[in-house]
Amino acid sequence: MKRLFVTKSIGAGALVGLLILSLHGCTDLDETPVSLITPGNFFRTEAEVLAGLAGVYAQLRSTAPEGAIYDANEVTTDEIVVPIRGSDWNDNGQWIDLHNVTWTPTSIATSNFFNGAWNSAYTGVARANLFLSAMENATVPNKARYLAEGRALRAFYYYILMDQFGGVPVVTTTEIALKPRSTRRELFDFIESELIAARDSGLPDTWGPENNGRFSKGGADAILANMYLNAGVFTKDGAGTGGINATAYNSCANITVSTGPDACAAAIAAADRILNSGNYSLADSFHQNFRFDNYRSPENIFVVKFIPEDGLGMGITMAALHYCQYAPLTPWNGFSTLAQSYNAFDPADKRRNAILIGPQRDVLTGALATVRVSGACPAYSPAVALVFTDTIRDIRSANESEGARIYKWPADPAHVAQNSGNDFAWFRLGEIYLIKAEAQHVLGQDGPALTVLNTLRARTDPVAPALAAVSDSVILSERLFELFGESKRRQDLIRFGKFTGRTDAASGLIGGKVARPDYYVLMPVPQTQINANPLLTQNPGY
Amino acid sequence: MHLVRHVVPMLALLSLAAAPLAAQNTGTVRGQVVDSTTRQALSGVTVQIQGTQRITTTGPDGNFSLGDVPAGSVVVRATRIGFAPEQQVVTVTAGGTAEAQFEMSPQASLLEAVIVTGYGTQRREAITGSVASIDATAANVGVKTNVTQLLQGRAAGVEIIQNNGEPGAGAQILIRGGSSVSARNDPLYVIDGVPINNVASEPAANGWTGNPSLARNPLNLLNPADIASITVLKDAAATAIYGSRASNGVILVETKRGQAAGGPSFEYDGNVSTSSPARSLGVLTGSEYRSFVQGSVADWRADSTAFAGRHGPADTIFTLHFGDSAATFNALDPSHLTTLGAANTDWEGALTRASLTHNHNLSFAGGSEDTRYRASMNYAKQQGVTLSSGLERIQGRLSASHSNLNNRLRIGLNVTSSRVNNTYLTYENQGGFEGGAFENVATFNPTQPITVTDSTGTRFYEVGGTTIRNPVALAHQITNIGQTTRTLGNAEAEFDVVRGLTAKINVGLDHSNGGRQEYYPIANPLGRALGNGLAQQQTLQNATQTLQTLLTYDGQVGGSTSLNVVSGYEYSKFKRDSVLGRGIGFFTDAYGFHALDAATSRTTASGASESRLASFFGRANVGLNNRFFLTGVLRYDGSSRFSAGNKWALFPALSGSWNLTQEGFMQSGPFSELRVRAGWGLQGNPSVDPYTSLITLASGSGATYPWGDAPNGGVLATSNGNPDLKWEQTAQFDAAIDFSLLNNRISGTVEYYHKNTKDLLLTVDVPQPALQSTQLKNVGQLSGHGLEFSLDALAISRPGLTWRAGLIFAADRSKVTDLGCATDSTGVESCPFYESADVSGQGQSGVRAERVMVCDPSRPGYCPGYALGTFYGPVFLGHDAAGQQVFFCTAATTGCVNGRTTIRGNPAAADYRVIGNANPDFTLGLSSQVTWKRFEMSFLVRAVVGHDVFNNTALVYSTKSNALQDKNFLRGALSDPTGIHDPAIYSSRWIEDASFVRMQNITIAYDLGIPLLMRSARSARLYLSADNLFLITGYSGLDPEVYSGTGLAVRGVDYLVYPNPRTITGGLRLLF
Repeated sequence: MKRLFVTKSIGAGALVGLLILSLHGCTDLDETPVSLITPGNFFRTEAEVLAGLAGVYAQLRSTAPEGAIYDANEVTTDEIVVPIRGSDWNDNGQWIDLHNVTWTPTSIATSNFFNGAWNSAYTGVARANLFLSAMENATVPNKARYLAEGRALRAFYYYILMDQFGGVPVVTTTEIALKPRSTRRELFDFIESELIAARDSGLPDTWGPENNGRFSKGGADAILANMYLNAGVFTKDGAGTGGINATAYNSCANITVSTGPDACAAAIAAADRILNSGNYSLADSFHQNFRFDNYRSPENIFVVKFIPEDGLGMGITMAALHYCQYAPLTPWNGFSTLAQSYNAFDPADKRRNAILIGPQRDVLTGALATVRVSGACPAYSPAVALVFTDTIRDIRSANESEGARIYKWPADPAHVAQNSGNDFAWFRLGEIYLIKAEAQHVLGQDGPALTVLNTLRARTDPVAPALAAVSDSVILSERLFELFGESKRRQDLIRFGKFTGRTDAASGLIGGKVARPDYYVLMPVPQTQINANPLLTQNPGY
Repeated sequence: MHLVRHVVPMLALLSLAAAPLAAQNTGTVRGQVVDSTTRQALSGVTVQIQGTQRITTTGPDGNFSLGDVPAGSVVVRATRIGFAPEQQVVTVTAGGTAEAQFEMSPQASLLEAVIVTGYGTQRREAITGSVASIDATAANVGVKTNVTQLLQGRAAGVEIIQNNGEPGAGAQILIRGGSSVSARNDPLYVIDGVPINNVASEPAANGWTGNPSLARNPLNLLNPADIASITVLKDAAATAIYGSRASNGVILVETKRGQAAGGPSFEYDGNVSTSSPARSLGVLTGSEYRSFVQGSVADWRADSTAFAGRHGPADTIFTLHFGDSAATFNALDPSHLTTLGAANTDWEGALTRASLTHNHNLSFAGGSEDTRYRASMNYAKQQGVTLSSGLERIQGRLSASHSNLNNRLRIGLNVTSSRVNNTYLTYENQGGFEGGAFENVATFNPTQPITVTDSTGTRFYEVGGTTIRNPVALAHQITNIGQTTRTLGNAEAEFDVVRGLTAKINVGLDHSNGGRQEYYPIANPLGRALGNGLAQQQTLQNATQTLQTLLTYDGQVGGSTSLNVVSGYEYSKFKRDSVLGRGIGFFTDAYGFHALDAATSRTTASGASESRLASFFGRANVGLNNRFFLTGVLRYDGSSRFSAGNKWALFPALSGSWNLTQEGFMQSGPFSELRVRAGWGLQGNPSVDPYTSLITLASGSGATYPWGDAPNGGVLATSNGNPDLKWEQTAQFDAAIDFSLLNNRISGTVEYYHKNTKDLLLTVDVPQPALQSTQLKNVGQLSGHGLEFSLDALAISRPGLTWRAGLIFAADRSKVTDLGCATDSTGVESCPFYESADVSGQGQSGVRAERVMVCDPSRPGYCPGYALGTFYGPVFLGHDAAGQQVFFCTAATTGCVNGRTTIRGNPAAADYRVIGNANPDFTLGLSSQVTWKRFEMSFLVRAVVGHDVFNNTALVYSTKSNALQDKNFLRGALSDPTGIHDPAIYSSRWIEDASFVRMQNITIAYDLGIPLLMRSARSARLYLSADNLFLITGYSGLDPEVYSGTGLAVRGVDYLVYPNPRTITGGLRLLF
């Protein structure tokens, strides 16, 4: 009995002791994620490098319609207005703040749009920086080309920041650090040198269909051409004496850039490299550039790619269309066009078809559309017909059918929910023609400029009758007709000295825009960004 | 650390050497316990030989017998809930039997004499920290689905707000106001000594109609009927033993065990309940809506003469869709008449129902002196008070213990396994542009029918392919179900090394497997809009392993000093795996969610994470003459979730108490007990997700980019990482007086605390460029203080009649005192602020109702600190003649006349002010229990006073402009002067005082005469119970207690909540 007791005691004690002993390896608290990757163990194969590069490209989606960068470029101009309809689209007054150019560094438009634009573009920069720094030690085939793509994408994200905010901190490492702003000129020079370096160190002339949408030499030249044309604005840190002229044309002439003493000449040269490359041609019809299959357009130079898949498609149709014209989806009935912009088009200009007005149909079935009745879309009868008007009586209190609608990228018949497959071209050949013509006009070469403009109008399916003469206002109008809704209007109005002086046409629009002070040609640096980085200085005037 | 690491195993080895102790000479103690007032035998009294593990309980005749008692002079202690503990010294001789007779007198508090305090138990009088224990049996009345509900209104300083009225809904628990801004404020739950990883056990639904409905309570796995006791550790002195996980308090749950006394028992407890929504939203009825539209159109037509003069009859488009003067614009044009149907549908009534719940518990328990067991089964089926909402639980629990080697070795096992099937109504809890069931209840045209019948049959009436959807059809047609299978088990072995020194090992496993299935059919317009049918299946697995080793010493040093020491090591590993599959685009609804491969477009995703926590800890409690007690705690915690170099932290605490009634000068006073205590300690909050300190790259659609029109999977950085990430730390000071009066007939505690949390985990903006715009950083401070008061009274105690009453009171004041503020050259302090509480509803994008702030942006340099849940926005002043809303403004604002806005729309942000506070001034709980002969009546009343709620529901649905879109609205808008074209604007107008008094539960029970029912039954009891019987409040919304949303410390926002039910329960309890 006693022996049994002793044996059991030892057995029990040993059990407890062993269990206690068994766990003392357990103070290792290092983390090794399994469904996530850390940069330290990645970028070792070409497939991994491509995956990293896809992430840098993916941020391009945030620059396209309908995101903060796009809204800041469009809703601040006469191309798009988002009226309040009942309580709908009030959204704390953010759209009216944007349209009326009444923002401050802390107002609702700044915190929701400009701060979003700042973060979206800089996130692209940060992804490119992480990619480029990881690539330094990678040994993979085609390394030079990957580095060139990464640098070109980063330059493009900086281009957006330069356009909207002026000089911003230039950072090329992955460290999160406080850094002061560069001047806009320094940023201009940095972007220019990066694009040239990328173009000459690895970007290909073209990509095969399986890589449609990746950065090419033409993409770098297109951004350069645009920058050179805007050099009169992009090298200035604010409005006023010696700065941007908010009320007259800001010429690219006599502004020195890396390739020579005149940015206009540099713009023409960059445009010519594209036009003469043989890689691009005008589309047979204008609308081919925007349809769901516009990846086939020979005009595309640098695009944001979309496909009809969840989270990967374009969705601006939702923002613009009326509730009852995209069944079974319910669009949001928001983005409208100002009457003055719609009416600026020649009725014969086919490019005006990008705007919906008058009696409406379902955009996919073609059935006649109705206004809502009981919050619903009833069967069609003339009494309930949906008819878009050009005028908006009061942008703070609009009716659901007021306002013509931007419908440049028609819905994709294969759309998945809101996701359509239309690509968004940041740069297509049409704009290159316009850049060349404008630079020629500035340099006094109106004859060649007219030829270039009329070439653009005379596509296989001509869009509009030929122009007879060239002037500043003809060129600005032509850019409106050709590039309507393509995220360039703010830039154009500033270059032409018409951004802050613009008023909504006197067609009775209540609550609309009146002329604003000159300093609005630059967006304010959002106060939240200054809080996060006290070295940032505010743009003059704010 | 290395030293500690090796001390524990060495001590364990010592135990091996000491193990073969010779058997001692032992004897037996026996006796009987009676109630001193009624002179009746008391069953269920715990009798223990102090300083040993010899424990038993008295049987129905009040008798007990304890064998194997060491010979010599021993202290025998008798304790029972509701009675003052008694003890006496008896002398045991080897082989002899000593007698010990006890008379116990009832006392005020229904509290255990021995309290579970974390890694062990302590005698109540030795506890120096702030500890509240709850009588689980008294609290388990009415419909209780989880342990959280048992706590409501029963412990001072523990504020519990149910998310909503869903069966088994989750809850927000704030112990002493919470301690964190963005990390979790949930307390740590410890079940039978094993800390529980209290994360969602079921995958969340997607938010296809606004944000998804909220997760149910993960603690639904545990049947409240299996709970023996609940202890809440509130202050740092008590919680520091749980170190890094303790800053929001600790809730210790002990489950019922088998009892040897009185032989095997068999118990059945079953009840049936019926529930219905306690209040209604109050939307217009069909006839009210019809007459509103007709009246408004009449107003519009009243101007028709002038109108016709301005526009010719050919101008049909204009006349149909436009008004051209302010007068006509302020009404509905005649086209809205066509929207009026002939029906009179009460959509709220159609979606809700009187629901039925039944609940059955079966348990048996028994055993011998050495081996005890308890087994229980539970089946509960609870219907929600809306269609397609419910909970079904099947649960089994087994607990067994065995002692050996003269009771020196004790082993135990507890296993709970449960299956919970949840059925969800698809509704939103915020957002709501598209709208789920509740939004459509508020807005669907009440003049239209639920169903229509024509030649093709009967189907749900739908207005068409828009955002307005028949809510009854949503409830019936959409499938949204979830289920969790969860097993929680622990095995423990305890060994007395020498007298007073015990070594213990406890191994815990917690494994849950959750699933979620959803199908949005083609037949429903929502399912069509999502891409012609959408099906989704998800699984989520959580596994937690915990291992504890403990050494406990409990004994006397010299004649007057008691010593209780615990030291230990704990290791936990948390794993999580998830899989998701989604298909969009079906040609039939026949598959439901079962055949994702039939979809035209498919998405899959999966993820996994792991984290670990390792800890060393010790606690020493020294008692001097039962007069002074001093407790010291040290815990050294390491978490894998923090950055290298910041993984380990030390959490100390020190507390003491002085029992004044032991002093001569107090002997003659009115106090039967008077104790003061004070303590200080540090606690941590480790609620950051795994891998947060690292830069991580993730795949997913955000990283995918379609070169050549085929998606290329990519990676992108999901986090900036933070190499400096560390614990949030809360320092807490607590001082209290515990007292008893009139021979323990009244007892209570008054308690004051002050706490300060530093290194708050906050997501802050970082300088760009950065991989993400924000980073989780340790920024800022939160401090608070509060007062708690609890009182228990045994008002009447005489044969046949007992009346007990309890009162709790708590007031907490806390505010953010730092968010990384800076003082500029002029001496003005400025601090960043964080907007929080997104306002829900159409046209409210970008509007936020609350701010987390130290300085008021409208008053430069004014930085007093503000509470979490501070409402900030426009100050509403009234209406102008045109029905336009007028707000306060300052002269600098455009259009400001005499401090009143004149421009339609939102006032300038500079004119926003602090407009409310979601935190209550104080909370009260009053409970009462009267036993009269065979009747027992108990109730619990709760009151919360002085808190504001933002009635987001009213903001969005109490505006007439809804009628412009032919949407219904709340009745309050009829008398509202706001013009029909004025947008709904968030302002002080929608902040309401939400003070309330609620009759939480009232129960009447009747004890049947035993032979009346059947001979073999020992006890039979019938009861009738009502939950949420009435509510007194001035708040206009559904319920003044509202879910506090996720995000940055959102509190007090009411948006289309699932209605709280009123429930009547009838039940029967039989004991054999």
